[in-house]
Amino acid sequence: MEQIITTLINGLSAGGTYAMIALGYTMVYGIAKMLNFAHGDVIMVGAYALFVMFTTTGNPLLGLVVAVVLCVIFGVTIERLAYRPLRGASPLAVLITAIGVSSLLQALAQMIFGAGEKKPVFYQFGNVTIFGISISLLTLITLIASAIIMVVLSLFVKYTRTGRAMIAVSEDRGAAELMGISVNKIIVITFAIGSALAAVAGFFMVWKAPNVTPILGAMPGIKAFAAAVIGGIGSLPGAMLGGILMGVVESFSSSNTYTAPYTDAIVFAVLILILLVRPSGLLGKKRREKV
Amino acid sequence: MKSLFKKAFAVVMAAAMLLSLTACGGDRDKSGNSGNDGYTADNTTFKIGMSGPLTGGAAVYGVAVKNAAQMAIDEINAAGGLNGVKFELLAYDDVHDATKVEANYAAMYEAGMQVSLGCVTSDPCLEFSAFSAEDNVFFLTPSASNDDVPAEDNAYQMCFADGNQGKVAADYVNGLGLDKIGIFYKSDDSYSKGIYDQFKDNIKGIETVEASFTESTSSDFTQQISKLKDCSFIFMPIYYGPASLFMIQAKDLVAANTTYYGCDGFDGIESAEGFDINSIPQTVSMLSHFNSKATEGKAAEFIQKYTEKFGKDTLNQFGASAYDCVYAIFNAIKAAIDAGEEIDVTISASDLCEILKEQFQGGFSYSGVTGTDITWDENGYVSKEAVRYDIKK
Repeated sequence: MEQIITTLINGLSAGGTYAMIALGYTMVYGIAKMLNFAHGDVIMVGAYALFVMFTTTGNPLLGLVVAVVLCVIFGVTIERLAYRPLRGASPLAVLITAIGVSSLLQALAQMIFGAGEKKPVFYQFGNVTIFGISISLLTLITLIASAIIMVVLSLFVKYTRTGRAMIAVSEDRGAAELMGISVNKIIVITFAIGSALAAVAGFFMVWKAPNVTPILGAMPGIKAFAAAVIGGIGSLPGAMLGGILMGVVESFSSSNTYTAPYTDAIVFAVLILILLVRPSGLLGKKRREKV
Repeated sequence: MKSLFKKAFAVVMAAAMLLSLTACGGDRDKSGNSGNDGYTADNTTFKIGMSGPLTGGAAVYGVAVKNAAQMAIDEINAAGGLNGVKFELLAYDDVHDATKVEANYAAMYEAGMQVSLGCVTSDPCLEFSAFSAEDNVFFLTPSASNDDVPAEDNAYQMCFADGNQGKVAADYVNGLGLDKIGIFYKSDDSYSKGIYDQFKDNIKGIETVEASFTESTSSDFTQQISKLKDCSFIFMPIYYGPASLFMIQAKDLVAANTTYYGCDGFDGIESAEGFDINSIPQTVSMLSHFNSKATEGKAAEFIQKYTEKFGKDTLNQFGASAYDCVYAIFNAIKAAIDAGEEIDVTISASDLCEILKEQFQGGFSYSGVTGTDITWDENGYVSKEAVRYDIKK
């Protein structure tokens, strides 16, 4: 029983990180109608910023701030230079560009920092015992932090002018533009928020596993993308649900001796199963095509 | 592009190898089929050949072997040699490069080598194995642990073969009297999975808690750590990269008196980039046949003698093993003489090889620095007990 609860909390915690990344994918998709495959590599940019700040100043929180700022700058710059000129181009051209940006970021990181692993080791918390169950404090902190961020983001989107403008653009770009909303500005804000979330997710990833490499963001990026698809891409609650589901499935799979070697296969099998039953994802809107 | 280059390179290498094989085949015919007695006829000492990295990145291993072998030979000679006949070491540098082995082998063969320590590292030793099998030269390598090194019947190992580490580790763990141990391995890696499977087959009556990871899940070990955190002994047949990452993440999550026990994949963990082993409160140890911090027994004696002569920099299991190799060969020759064999200082390598093979397959056992009652099986693999070498206590 204790093992099950520990596994569940570990899964929720890992899921919170996936959810933060998945939100970036889903917001950009909802508003700019494109898949930003360089999103995972923005995490990596943040992780290196964190590494540099931590090794020079020894302060991981300062590192987090710098990582968030740098990721926002990168996210917005990528949007401005690579994606905005392609607004209105075929979705395939945008997709290829996103993959190109991803490779570019990885290659740059390798040129600057080399391919070796960097290990910025922050303070490692021990276990805490709650109701007789001992659990890693860092796992709890990640879980709580990601929950807070998700609540704040939901409130922001629901109750602020900018947030509602984002919903408006995602529902009908043309109509939103006619109502006086600057679509370009909203897209820039979306990229900025998504990149900031990626930096925060990267911070917790590096804190848990101090292993910074140029391909650090690739696998979490793909998994978070899958999480966004499971939840229904374009839907914010969907990304959160998908991310958490992904983390929990992964955690339970790797806790079992027999399924552990097939964890990735199981995670993506869940994706396929869900898409078979609900092709637009768990919370995705069904789009009716008019003939 | 890259693979095309690789292919072209492979073809060139294959051609070069083919040429070199025919070349040495031609050379050897000159000395006839009866071994190298043409070269050993003028010997006034017994000559032991070795090839190892005496310079370059792996020099610490080769130098240790050369130093320790020379030390053993000096001791034997000082004690009167073999009925008055002294031994001599022929040491050649291969810079841990297999392509240098052919020239080294030819040089020592023609210098009258009668028995050998082979090569220090595995890849060169595979080359050496091929040449020595053709000429029937007996060798006992201190440290080339590749499974295929003793493939021919003239070849023996003093170190544990890679493929036997799972069994040797299991034997060690069986003797600890633990009820429960943890195992942490990488399920999609043939090195790790191979040792894991063999270990599982050989442990008896011990409950195991197992956690694994794959290449794509090799950074965040939260789940694996929560599963293993109550184990006081965790066996880790993995390379030091992920192992060090596990240790950093687990340092405050598992009890400080926990012991991590790895295989040769842990070699060099204390100097892994960005990893401060002293920040890990747990004990980090690995399977070995020599404990360089031993305080009693033959190992301690060896450590004292070696450090007095050569200092601490090159004190490692390679040297200890080489020291044992020389003595094992010496004892085996002596045992053969006691059994009535005629061994002259001018004996050819091939004739000596037949005598030594008979000894090593005929119940010869040796006790030294790296083990007691060491024997060898019919494949040339060593059989002895492993010790736990504490990298960091």
